[in-house]
Amino acid sequence: MPEGLEQSAIAERDVDLKVIDRVSNEVLETMFFTEAIATGCDHSWFSTAVTARIAFAGSHAGEFLLSVSREAARAIASGFLGLAEEETTENDCGQVILELSNILCGAVLSNRWPESRLSLATPELGGCGCANEGALHRCFTLPVGALALTICAADAAVSRG
Amino acid sequence: MAVKPLVVGISDCKVSREIDSMLVTYALGSCIAVAMYDPAVKIGGLLHYMLPESSLDAAKAQQNPFMFADTGIARLIEALTAGGAMPRRMTVRLAGGAQVLDSEGVFQIGKRNYLAARRILWKAGILIAAEAVGGEVSRTTRLELATGRMWVREGGDVERELMEHRGLAKKVMERV
Amino acid sequence: MAFSVLIVDDSPVMRGFIRRVMTLSGFEAGECWEASNGEEALAQLREHRVDVILTDINMPKMNGEELLRQLETDAQLRSVPALVISTDATKDRILRMISLGAEGYITKPFTPEALREELERILGEPHA
Repeated sequence: MPEGLEQSAIAERDVDLKVIDRVSNEVLETMFFTEAIATGCDHSWFSTAVTARIAFAGSHAGEFLLSVSREAARAIASGFLGLAEEETTENDCGQVILELSNILCGAVLSNRWPESRLSLATPELGGCGCANEGALHRCFTLPVGALALTICAADAAVSRG
Repeated sequence: MAVKPLVVGISDCKVSREIDSMLVTYALGSCIAVAMYDPAVKIGGLLHYMLPESSLDAAKAQQNPFMFADTGIARLIEALTAGGAMPRRMTVRLAGGAQVLDSEGVFQIGKRNYLAARRILWKAGILIAAEAVGGEVSRTTRLELATGRMWVREGGDVERELMEHRGLAKKVMERV
Repeated sequence: MAFSVLIVDDSPVMRGFIRRVMTLSGFEAGECWEASNGEEALAQLREHRVDVILTDINMPKMNGEELLRQLETDAQLRSVPALVISTDATKDRILRMISLGAEGYITKPFTPEALREELERILGEPHA
């Protein structure tokens, strides 16, 4: 890739990651009462994670994936629902993570592309949380557990190979 | 009428219905002050806690429950309800949670303390009327038991009354 | 005065969150109806009188935008205030929903206190 374009690609990715960091923190702190610190990736917890995926289309198209470690999912769910962790069921965790993914996806995309028209599909549980080459991927550490966010785009403006 | 200050120290809590008194706490850096007041029975309480979760040190929490958000807020609510307060009537305000220099720099304790208060109050079914939190300033706060009014001083600034929030949700409509 | 509310969102936990805020805000408990999409919302509105509609936008079958469009065409229902609660923070969407008659618009994420404030603005402050 010519140097000028490469610099531009790096700068774009930097903006993408800054938006993801800022918006993720805002979402988690506002409605889920926890903070998250962007960190280097450690995917050892992926095999037991609660994962949600949302397809999006419109002026940008692709897929948003959220993976949350089991203990983080329980802490997040109990916080959101106003319950003790012992009172929070597996189904509660799944439903809250679905809603978290919905809010995160909507917030990240509309902050990154505020002038765009986007439609989000209904979030679904399940799927692989691993980062594909070219995808935007960010891992976070929470006070309890971890979380990872991936945006895989059909749109070249998002995905940088 | 001379007002009598009832000082709440660090990791401390006081509940009173002495209407000639003022609950006051100083040096709120990363700590959080939780003020609760029931105007129907004129009873108020002020908690000053240091850390978000008692699970961090269960032994310390046994010795002093007011050091932690979870045990401290629970005790505060208990003491107020034992004194005739009803949670649904109470005005609850927060102050503190500033970012202070942290050599580890990983999780800012001020923010964690603030999030802990919000999470615990949500779980207890209590909404927050007003708050003066965050930033990098140390705060002092006082709660007047005759009226339930609360004031905050931030850094070297003039003291201001902590009023109920208005205008939070207008932001979106105004932005467009 | 007891308020009746219709909460329209395809997420059951979000409906629960909103319901909890209404209760904790001190509004006298009237009826609280729920729907998971615009179609179900219209069915509820044909059966029950409500004082305020709280609606998401992005829902299957009938989304919130179409729901507002339908409400505008109904002489009775058009006067029921609708508060939109959505992840969509784009200017385009906000303007469209306002032009369709939305009384207010809250973006997710929101604090319980921000929702309470909007409810008080629309319904008036609850009695203590």
